[in-house]
Amino acid sequence: MRDLKHLIYFENLLQEANNDLVKQAKAEGKRAIGYTCYFMPEVLLDLPGCFSVRLRAPRCTSPDIATYYMSARVCHYARSLLERALEGGFNFLDAQMATETCTATCRFQEHLQQKHLDSVKDMRIIDNDDFFCNFIDVPFKNNQIAYEHYRDQLRAHVLGGLEEHFGIDTSDAAIMAAIEQQNEVSRLINEIGDYRKLDNPTITGYEFHVIQLVSLVCPKYLILPYLRETAEEMKTREPDQKKEFRCKVVLAGSENDDPDFTKLVESCGARVVCDRYCYGSVESRQIIEVKDGEDPLMAVARHYLTTSNCPRFMPQDEMRARKQRIAELAKEYHADGVIIASNKFCEYWSYERVIDTVILKRDFGLPVCSIEKEYINSASGQLRTRFQAFVESVEIKHIQEGK
Amino acid sequence: MAKNIKKALRDFWYGKPHTAEEGGRRLGDLHEDKTHLYKHREWRGVKDTMYYFYMIWLYNYIFMVKDVMVMGGLVNFAKGVWRYRWVGQTYLPVLHWFDRGLEGMRGEAMKASAWHYRAMVSTTIRQFQRMFAADTRLHGGKQNDLYKHTIAHNETVWGGVFYPWDGEIQNVPLEMIPYFVTCHVNSHTVLNYIDAVQSIGLPGDPCPMCQAESGIFVLDDVPDYAPAVVTCNEACDASVSTSTLQDWFFDKPLFSLPMPMIFDDPLVKKYCAREIEELWKFVEQQYNIPFSWDKLVKKLELQNELQRFEWEKWEVAGKTDYYPVNGVAQALYRIYQTQYGDWEIWHVTDKKVRKILEKCVSKKINSFPQTRHRVIAWSCAPLYYSNWCTWAYNCWGLNVIINMDSLMFDMTIRTDSYENTLEDMAQYHLWAPMRRMAVGGMKHMFELWEYMEKFNCDMVAMYDQLQCKGVQGLHGLFEDEFRDRNAKAFWIPHALPDSRTVSRAEIRRLINDYMTTVMHEEPLDPSLLDFDDSMTW
Repeated sequence: MRDLKHLIYFENLLQEANNDLVKQAKAEGKRAIGYTCYFMPEVLLDLPGCFSVRLRAPRCTSPDIATYYMSARVCHYARSLLERALEGGFNFLDAQMATETCTATCRFQEHLQQKHLDSVKDMRIIDNDDFFCNFIDVPFKNNQIAYEHYRDQLRAHVLGGLEEHFGIDTSDAAIMAAIEQQNEVSRLINEIGDYRKLDNPTITGYEFHVIQLVSLVCPKYLILPYLRETAEEMKTREPDQKKEFRCKVVLAGSENDDPDFTKLVESCGARVVCDRYCYGSVESRQIIEVKDGEDPLMAVARHYLTTSNCPRFMPQDEMRARKQRIAELAKEYHADGVIIASNKFCEYWSYERVIDTVILKRDFGLPVCSIEKEYINSASGQLRTRFQAFVESVEIKHIQEGK
Repeated sequence: MAKNIKKALRDFWYGKPHTAEEGGRRLGDLHEDKTHLYKHREWRGVKDTMYYFYMIWLYNYIFMVKDVMVMGGLVNFAKGVWRYRWVGQTYLPVLHWFDRGLEGMRGEAMKASAWHYRAMVSTTIRQFQRMFAADTRLHGGKQNDLYKHTIAHNETVWGGVFYPWDGEIQNVPLEMIPYFVTCHVNSHTVLNYIDAVQSIGLPGDPCPMCQAESGIFVLDDVPDYAPAVVTCNEACDASVSTSTLQDWFFDKPLFSLPMPMIFDDPLVKKYCAREIEELWKFVEQQYNIPFSWDKLVKKLELQNELQRFEWEKWEVAGKTDYYPVNGVAQALYRIYQTQYGDWEIWHVTDKKVRKILEKCVSKKINSFPQTRHRVIAWSCAPLYYSNWCTWAYNCWGLNVIINMDSLMFDMTIRTDSYENTLEDMAQYHLWAPMRRMAVGGMKHMFELWEYMEKFNCDMVAMYDQLQCKGVQGLHGLFEDEFRDRNAKAFWIPHALPDSRTVSRAEIRRLINDYMTTVMHEEPLDPSLLDFDDSMTW
C-alpha cells in the first residue's frame, strides 16, 4: 500500500508527550491537562481554553528513580510515567485530572499531587507554579445511582478545578462545543478504522494505532485537520494485491500505547483489525449522544460509564457482557482470533485475561492467544514466537475446517 | 549448691526468668528442628503452667468439641472434614496456633491474650458449622431451611450491613474461614489454593490473598450454603477481579457493593450510603424478609459497646505499661471483631478481658516487663507469621503495642436517626480493612506518625507486602520519611499467606540484622535468634 501522507509526522508526534502540537497550543495560551484513564472524560478536558493530553512515557525502558519510589513490583506503565515526570517530561502540564481507577496509576498521580500535609512531604515533581492535581472517584457499577455520583464527581473536581484555577468556561454551551469537537474526532477515527473491516483491509493495525494515539495525546483542534486529510486519503487507498497477513485478530487487553507492539504482532503474520484495550478506539471513539433536554454533563457521565468495558466493573451482567462484547467485535471485524495481552503487574487484566482465555474459547469458539507483556516490549523474541505459533494454529484450524 | 537449689525452686515456682543474664529460659531450645513441635512444653511456673494447661489448653479443647456439637452437630462436622481440605488440615493444629502466639507469655498477658484466641476459635467454629449445616453438597443437593436463611459474602464486606435481618438471615463470609483463618493456623493449607489458580494461567504477582480466595473456587472447595452472594471491591484491584472469577464459578444472584476509593470526599459518602440501601433492597427481594430498623439499631448499639471498650483498651495501651494483650492477639481479635460485626462471644470475651485490664491498672502490673521498644506495626501483616511479634518480644524486647489493622474502624455509629445511621455506616464501610491505611489515600497511609505518638511508640515495624500495589507504590516516600524523621523503623517483607516467598526465618533474620547492626543491641534470649521452623504449621 502507498504510505499515508502524515504517518511519519504522526509517528514523530508520539516520540514525546510535549510534542509540537502541544507546544503550539501552549504557545497559544491554552492549558494542558493530563490524564491517564478512560474514566477521566477527555471531552471535559477539551473545553475551550484547555486541551487534554493522555499521558504516555515513550521509550522509557529504565525507570530507576520511579522504582525507588514505587518499587519494582508495580506496573511498568505507572513507573514509567513517574520516571518521565521526575525527568521533567511533564512540566508542560498545568493540571493532572486523576482517577483512582487502578492502584498503580493512582499512586503515580498521588506523587504529583501537592497534599499539604505535615505527615508526608510534597515533592513538587511538576515544576509549574500553576500545576494542581484533582482526583475523582469512579463508580464500579453502571446504574442510575452511579451516573449521578460520577456526574457529581466530575462537576466538583474536574469542572470545579478548571474553573477555579484557570477560569475555564464550564457552562453547558462550552461542554456541548467540546462534545461536538470530540464527536468529529470520533467520526473520523471510526471512518478510518472501518477500513479494517474489509476482507483485505486498506489500513494496517499499526497505522491505525498511531492515528488513534495522536488523537489522544494532541490538542483536538490542532490534530483535526490532519485526521480529516487522512480520512480523505483513505477513500482512495488501494490494498496490496497479495494479502500481507495470514489471519486477522482482535487485540484486547490492558494499557497499550506502544504502536510497536502492534507492529510486532503484525510482523508475525496477523493483522490487527480491532483495538479493544486501554488507549484503543473501541471505547474512546464512540459518539457521545446528548438526549433532548438532557444535562450535557449527565450525558457525558452516562456515556463514559456505559461505553467502558473495563474489568473493574463488578456487577454480574457487566462481567458477562464484556466477553460477549469481544465476541461481537471479532464477528464485526471478521477476526479469526483474539490476542489478550495484559501488562505485567496489572491485577485487573491478569484475572480478566485468564477468564477470557477460558470463556472466549469455550463459549464462543474463538481461538485465543493469551500473553503477558511489559509496557515497553523488550522481550520481543519470546512474544514473536508466541504470535507466530498462534497464527499457525489459526491457519491449521482453517485448513481443518476446509476454508 | 544452696544457691542452685534456691534458684531451681524459684524457677520451678515462678518459671525461669526471661533474659540470658538472669540464667534465662531459652525458649528456642524447647522445639524440634523444622517441625517446631515441642520437645517438652514450656514451664511457666506453677500458677501459669496450671492456668495454661487447664484454662487454655484443656478448656479450649473441650470447647472445640462442645462448640461443634452445639453449633451444627458432629455429623455435619464429620461430613465437612471429609469434603473440604481446609477444615481437616486446620482443626487439630489449633492449639499449636495458641502455643505459637502465647509462647513466653506470663500472668495477665497470657490470660488476656488467650481469651482473645478463644473468641476467635468459637466464632470460626460457628461459621463453618453453619456452612456445613446449610451446604447442599453435604445434603444430597437439598436446599434446606438453613440454606434459605444464609447469605454469603466476600470476607471484606462488613457483616454489619446484615444487622437488619439479625436472627433471620445468617451472614457467613465466603473466604474468612476457608482461607483467612486457616492460614493463620496452618500456613501450608493455603499454598494449594494459590497453586491452583496459577495453574489456570494467573500470573504470580497479584495479591496472594486474592489468589488464594480464587484458588478455593478453582478447586471447588467452597461449600454451597446460600442462595445469594454479596461481593465488594475491597481492598484492591485484585479483589475486584477475584469477585469476577468467583462469580463465574458460583453463578448465583449477586449484588456487588462498591466501596468508593477516594473516601474523604463527602459526595462519596452519600453515594456509598445509597448503595448500602440498594443492598438492603436486594436482600429483601432475594429472601423475602423485610428490613428491620429496630434490629439494626439494637445490633449497632451492641457493636458500639465493643468499640467503646476498645477505646478504653487503647487508653491503657497508649498511656501506661499495664496493657495485658500481646501484639498478635490484639491484631487478630480486633480485625476479626470489627470486620465480622457484633456477636455474643465478643462481649463475653471483653468482659473477661476488662477484669484483667482493670486488675493490671489498679495493681500496676507490667505484663511485658522486658520491653525495650514500644513498636507500632504498620500496613498489612504476614498471615503465616502473625505471631512474629511474640517472637520479637521474647527475643529482643520489641513490644508491639498496636497495629494498623486495629485502628481502621476507629468510630461508633450513631443510631438517633435513619440518616445519621446510614451516613455512619457508609463511613464505617469506607474505612474497610486494608483500605483506609493500606490502599487509601496518602493522608491515611501516613497517619502512622499520629498513632505512633498517641501510643507512645518509639519504633515502627513496617510490613512490606510484596504484592500489594498500594503499599509498594509508596515505598520510597516511606523511606524518605523514615530518614527525614530519623525514625527507628524496620521493614518486614512478606506475601500475606504465602510463606514460600519470604520465610519466617528470613523475617527473623532481617529483624535480627536491624537490631544488631542498627540498634547495636543484644538479644534477651539468644536461643531464639536462629532456628529452623520451615515445616511447622
